[in-house]
Amino acid sequence: MSASQPATRLTLPEALRALPLVRPEREVWNELAARLQAEARSAPPAARIARRRRLRYVVPAALAAGVALVAFEAHRAPAPPTAPATVAAPAASPSTGGAMAAHDANNAANATNATNQPNDTAARIAALEQRSDALERWLQETGAAAPLSGQDLAAAAEIENLIGVVDVALAAPQAQQTEALWRRRVDLLEDLTALRYSSYRLAATSAAGAANDHFID
Amino acid sequence: MTRSPFDLEVPQSLIARAQTGELAAFEQLYRCFERPVYTLALRMLGDAEAARDVLHDAMLKAFQRIAQYRGDAPFWAWLRQIALNETLMRLRSRRDDAAEVALDALRDEAPAPWVIADAAGLERALATLPATTRSVLWLYHVEGYSHPEIAERMGKSVSFSKSQLARGTARLRALLDPTVESMPCLQANPQPG
Repeated sequence: MSASQPATRLTLPEALRALPLVRPEREVWNELAARLQAEARSAPPAARIARRRRLRYVVPAALAAGVALVAFEAHRAPAPPTAPATVAAPAASPSTGGAMAAHDANNAANATNATNQPNDTAARIAALEQRSDALERWLQETGAAAPLSGQDLAAAAEIENLIGVVDVALAAPQAQQTEALWRRRVDLLEDLTALRYSSYRLAATSAAGAANDHFID
Repeated sequence: MTRSPFDLEVPQSLIARAQTGELAAFEQLYRCFERPVYTLALRMLGDAEAARDVLHDAMLKAFQRIAQYRGDAPFWAWLRQIALNETLMRLRSRRDDAAEVALDALRDEAPAPWVIADAAGLERALATLPATTRSVLWLYHVEGYSHPEIAERMGKSVSFSKSQLARGTARLRALLDPTVESMPCLQANPQPG
């Protein structure tokens, strides 16, 4: 269907689908190619960032299958009161052994922040990177198993997008305000963790009854 | 079943080349999906410049993450999800005007086959709809999303999606149906003398 065609009898869905696909008046590829080439030139830092953001927001099949067991453990181990500590609570599950390390890393990062503030920027950035890694590990290994409501899913997608924006800035050849960016990244990961953890607890609570029948006298 | 404009066959070898960072492979993928991505964003946002930004950012994000693509879903669906997320992020940052659809003047909200005068007329009518309403229409009729899928992605209820579709359909009908256009209340008053 074109603008010059005479009247055609179509249903609305047909008419909408018949509208032509369009492309932007100004070329986008040149900007995109320049950006990609710039990123390729800064490959070492980009690769380093990529290693650090191995977010996998998919449900691992093994974890999905073991939800009842996770729920049982979560039910037995009450979550600590603060967000950084609570994110590690599900790590007690035997099915998420790797998350135990995240717990340790969290605690290490927290201890560093609370009791021995690093004086130099490099040390502070290293602590933020460590915390970022720990949060990501929890999200990857445990948090992704939590089912999300539609609204939470949209919020999670938005946070993931914002993390992506921060990662792009961090991957820039000469990233300014590196510490601020890493702090922003940690803040966003904590938001995402809180979102995932609340859903995780909800799922755990729902499944706890069934799990108790099997595991508790 | 509605076939999405994104539903294009992409050779696995092309994706594999892109995953190694080959710029020429990126460009081939970009050329394949430039129009579907831009059109989706343009129809939903109704803003050429914003749609251009979506095209840039969605493609950049896809290329940055292409190493994570595992092939468990078609490439076009994976890319469409990224483009839709980018578009919805911009849509959410706007003031939601979906509730401002004036329905009082509409006589009939029942969907039915119509005579659509021409593409330009339909595009003009679409442009008058609130962005959210237009987005629901587009995602449902053109991209083939179900109401639950639209609700989930927009962070709204299924009934919201259904009502926006009904309102958008009714609004378009009113704008495109000549019998509505010739309603007496819409005629200019004759000047005295």
